[in-house]
Amino acid sequence: MSWLVWRQYRVQAAIAGGLLAAFALVLLVTGVQMASQWRSVLSACTADHSCSSLVNSLSLGNHAAYDLTFLTLIVPAVIGLLIGAPAVAGEAETGTSSFVWTQSVTRGRWLMAKAGWLLLAAAVWGGCIAALVTWWSGPRNALYGNAFQPNDFDLQGVVPVAYALFGMALGIAAGALLRRTLPAIAVTLAGFIGVRVLVAEIVRPHYMTAVTTYYSVRSSWTPSSGSWVLGGGVVNKSGQLLAVPDIVVNQGGVPNVILGVPVGDLPAPCKALVHAAVGSMSRVTPNGSGAPMSHLASCIASAGFRQFTRYQPISRYWAFQSIEACIFLALAAALVGIAFRTVRRRDA
Amino acid sequence: MTRPEGRLAAAPNADAGGARAAIETHGLTKRYPRVTALSDCSISIPAGRISALVGPNGSGKTTLLRMLAGLARPTGGTAAVLGGAPRQDPAFLADIGYLAQDIPLYRRLSADDHIRAGAHLNPRWDDAAARARLLDLRVPLGQPVGTLSGGQRAQVALSLALAKQPRVLLLDEPVAALDPLARRQFLATLTSAVADAAGDLTVLLSSHVIADLERVCDHMVLLTASRVQLCGDIDDLLAAHKVLVGPRKDTSALERAHTVVQSTRTDRQSTLLVRLAGPVLDPAYQVSDVSLEDLVLGYLGADAAPENAHLTAVGENS
Repeated sequence: MSWLVWRQYRVQAAIAGGLLAAFALVLLVTGVQMASQWRSVLSACTADHSCSSLVNSLSLGNHAAYDLTFLTLIVPAVIGLLIGAPAVAGEAETGTSSFVWTQSVTRGRWLMAKAGWLLLAAAVWGGCIAALVTWWSGPRNALYGNAFQPNDFDLQGVVPVAYALFGMALGIAAGALLRRTLPAIAVTLAGFIGVRVLVAEIVRPHYMTAVTTYYSVRSSWTPSSGSWVLGGGVVNKSGQLLAVPDIVVNQGGVPNVILGVPVGDLPAPCKALVHAAVGSMSRVTPNGSGAPMSHLASCIASAGFRQFTRYQPISRYWAFQSIEACIFLALAAALVGIAFRTVRRRDA
Repeated sequence: MTRPEGRLAAAPNADAGGARAAIETHGLTKRYPRVTALSDCSISIPAGRISALVGPNGSGKTTLLRMLAGLARPTGGTAAVLGGAPRQDPAFLADIGYLAQDIPLYRRLSADDHIRAGAHLNPRWDDAAARARLLDLRVPLGQPVGTLSGGQRAQVALSLALAKQPRVLLLDEPVAALDPLARRQFLATLTSAVADAAGDLTVLLSSHVIADLERVCDHMVLLTASRVQLCGDIDDLLAAHKVLVGPRKDTSALERAHTVVQSTRTDRQSTLLVRLAGPVLDPAYQVSDVSLEDLVLGYLGADAAPENAHLTAVGENS
């Protein structure tokens, strides 16, 4: 059976190999350049203690190569559409299933060989691409602290391998159920995008309970570099989140929000300080400046208003990668199960 | 037109009690949500025969063959091929050869690729014979089968089916798309394979080309409207039917004694296809033998008449 699978897919295998080689060449050349640039910039900034401001001045990575890495977002979907969906549907459509299913190999064994090799190929191909992107993005991740951000998270580490397996399994299952290549492709595309967006947007932030850090309205604070900030705001003394309206400045030059706190929510003593604080500023900004402003700020702080930031710390990066990978592996396994059940039970 | 009444007698079976049946079905039925593709099909095909599966389009021939090959499951009744129900079992699959209607092969793969695939997929595989047969017919082995002619493709598919060394070969209108020469070559390949197998290869072959069937088949199953009308040895079936030509008159007496399959009438004369239940006693009729083509057309024509829609199955093996 494996021989037939190889014979059926050797052209696709050659194309996939060629694409991978070209991709690897581009990333290796630009990646080595970027890595050496990063090393020299890093040693220079360490010498004069200016590393913290690097992110404002330095641009890392070849733009075309970056775009190319971004394009790898579609790799798992492409695997599912072009290879997965026709794997069973194409045979049913052209009738070759009736040839191969009347050889001395049961349909279960046939699918095991075919789906098995295709899933393995998807994992290896997707894995090679993800490994290259992960390596290439190292300096950028260090500089921009973006590894945990949506879209970057999805391109690196182990999740792309799980996506690739999911895409392939989805294509195979859709093809087995629908038996027509085009509808199977459509369902695979819609299903892949739907599940990916649903998981990334809605499920992923909740894999682990987010960390919430409170800090004074007078200070600013950011979580360790690379952490995934989910949100923030201001709470009052009793810990209630304040609904902050859009900032509007009235005719007297008084904004409706000061230091992130709606003026209406301020206690009377602090409200009394607002006019003086605003008057002390040459330019009215919501954050203000000057001595009356700092009186107002300490009034707000002592009234119990606190800022907070909700985030997933960068230390959880691999935990998140593993959880998401497991979700997609479980989905892939379920889809493979559906494909097996369908192929074995339904009439050819 | 005459109404054949009631259930017709079982077809005489030359091998009854003798050779075992390679294919045997009882009440085999396939219902789809909207249509019944095959209804209450009971047939028996003795081992070592080439049986013709005849019937109009949509009469259930493909459904029957697919169920025998294990590609479709019956919704009712039983089928036994070589003593067991068609199933997903390598040993069963090794014993059957199946060739679907449109001769599906991997279009981009060559005959050579198919032969090598077959060698990987089957425990018995006569690689040399398949290659020799195709070389003999000057079928290019290295060319993608999608570029071959219909006749060559059919020969490739038949060679693949025969290379499996099956004990039951199910062929679904394999010659439908072929020109007369390719058809003759195809059937020659088939008959020589059956001769070589010395009784251990049974073929069930569906076709519309009765002349071809007459040349290669010695057994026949006739389906109309999802039901079996005839099943038996062709010689016996021909012997059991006669064409009666006589004056136009009331046939009710005749119908009580025999079964009138089809009747055509002119102003003065009636021509009746009759399944005999004994000698024809009425001297007014001239009795003559029936050709296979007339026999088949008689049953197909009878079915086409709407008042005969109730025509029940014959050829049940008791």
